[in-house]
Amino acid sequence: MIKQLVPANLKEALEMLSKHNCYIMSGGTDLMVQKHVSTGLLPSFDKDVIYVMNLKELDYVKKDDNGNIRIGAATRFTDIERSPLVPEIYKIVIKEIASNNIRNMATMAGNIANASPAGDSLVPLVLNDASVILSSVNGNREVLVRDFVLGVRKIDRKQNEMITEIVLKPQELNYFYRKVGARKAESITKVSLMGGYKIENGIIKDLRIAFGSVSIKVVRSLENENKYIGQKVKELNIDSVIEDYSPLVTPITDQRSNKEYRHKVAMNLLRKFLEEVKGGRNE
Amino acid sequence: MEIKFILNGKQVSVDVSPSMRLLDVIRDKFHLTGTKEGCGEGECGACTVLVNNEPYNSCLTPVINIVNKEVITIEGFRETKAYRIIADAFAEMGGSQCGFCTPGMILATYAVLKKNPHPTEEEIRFALSGNLCRCTGYQSIVFAVLKASEKGIEL
Repeated sequence: MIKQLVPANLKEALEMLSKHNCYIMSGGTDLMVQKHVSTGLLPSFDKDVIYVMNLKELDYVKKDDNGNIRIGAATRFTDIERSPLVPEIYKIVIKEIASNNIRNMATMAGNIANASPAGDSLVPLVLNDASVILSSVNGNREVLVRDFVLGVRKIDRKQNEMITEIVLKPQELNYFYRKVGARKAESITKVSLMGGYKIENGIIKDLRIAFGSVSIKVVRSLENENKYIGQKVKELNIDSVIEDYSPLVTPITDQRSNKEYRHKVAMNLLRKFLEEVKGGRNE
Repeated sequence: MEIKFILNGKQVSVDVSPSMRLLDVIRDKFHLTGTKEGCGEGECGACTVLVNNEPYNSCLTPVINIVNKEVITIEGFRETKAYRIIADAFAEMGGSQCGFCTPGMILATYAVLKKNPHPTEEEIRFALSGNLCRCTGYQSIVFAVLKASEKGIEL
């Protein structure tokens, strides 16, 4: 018998998770589609479900003593986008996610846990070294989002854990972001690229690149980035950077697009970003 | 389990699974059939209702998520002055043809005008981006929203 679990507070939720193997339902915008059967019928679950959207303790955006921004797991995209504390780059991404209605319902924690290769919020989270807090009856642990997502719909969550908080670490970077989809709204990303850079006295102090929708998870290479940091920006060779990333960008062909197109567009976006870095807004 | 919420201004209670779609609760338990099911997966917005004055896709909302919240469907909204102004603007500008998207469009229009009484055309298109219409090509809907905004929806 599949159980429907409705905790009254976070403590109760964690106790339930310690006893049951659950789907964790927040806004429902992914799970209610995946488990939908037919009009008038209840969604069909193959294990217990715990409903966490009503947990008031998880609905907040706040700044901690280290200047990090902490977002509760039951905070909707709409409220994240409205918060004056949230860095602008996240807002730019959120505005292009799904539609107004969906953003009124969905949470960023849900977008992370769904671990779709096309999950748009994963791109800025990975680029900016954001992390999630996983809580259980045994306590909390913090994991970088880039380590938390293991593959297509695979995450590093133990059965008794849930995401309770997202930790954003504001960075002093200039950003570049392009999402390529079939239309302006409600588009599932074909390819996206976020770049971040900081240049001082002609020297690259920081250069980060993250691609979305072109592999099983967000593509970011610290090894590549470390090669460029410290170089003179004038000497940065765009073609060789593109060569470095070309083998890492391994998109698939599906109903939205084909792999050749996605690869080509990803490389073109990278070139555009690097031209902006070399043109330099920050010299 | 017993789920309590406010539906069109009245406190209501219904004994259903927490996983039941708000759409099915509204249509099958309360027999309010103005809320339509189009795609059933959050793309088309035909199932739009207002939850605490914000548009939600009721086809993706497990009913437990609206406990103690205020839900307004097109049947509740049609009792208001704002409805009259918006509906007249849609009629005048040809913003409704087959009518299937119209309940959702009207509620989404109200939500945007309530937040922003004088939106630009681009702001209107952004706000209605979760509501699809296969008849009008959207232009006449945008004109209808502009018309309603000129008249002012008297909140």
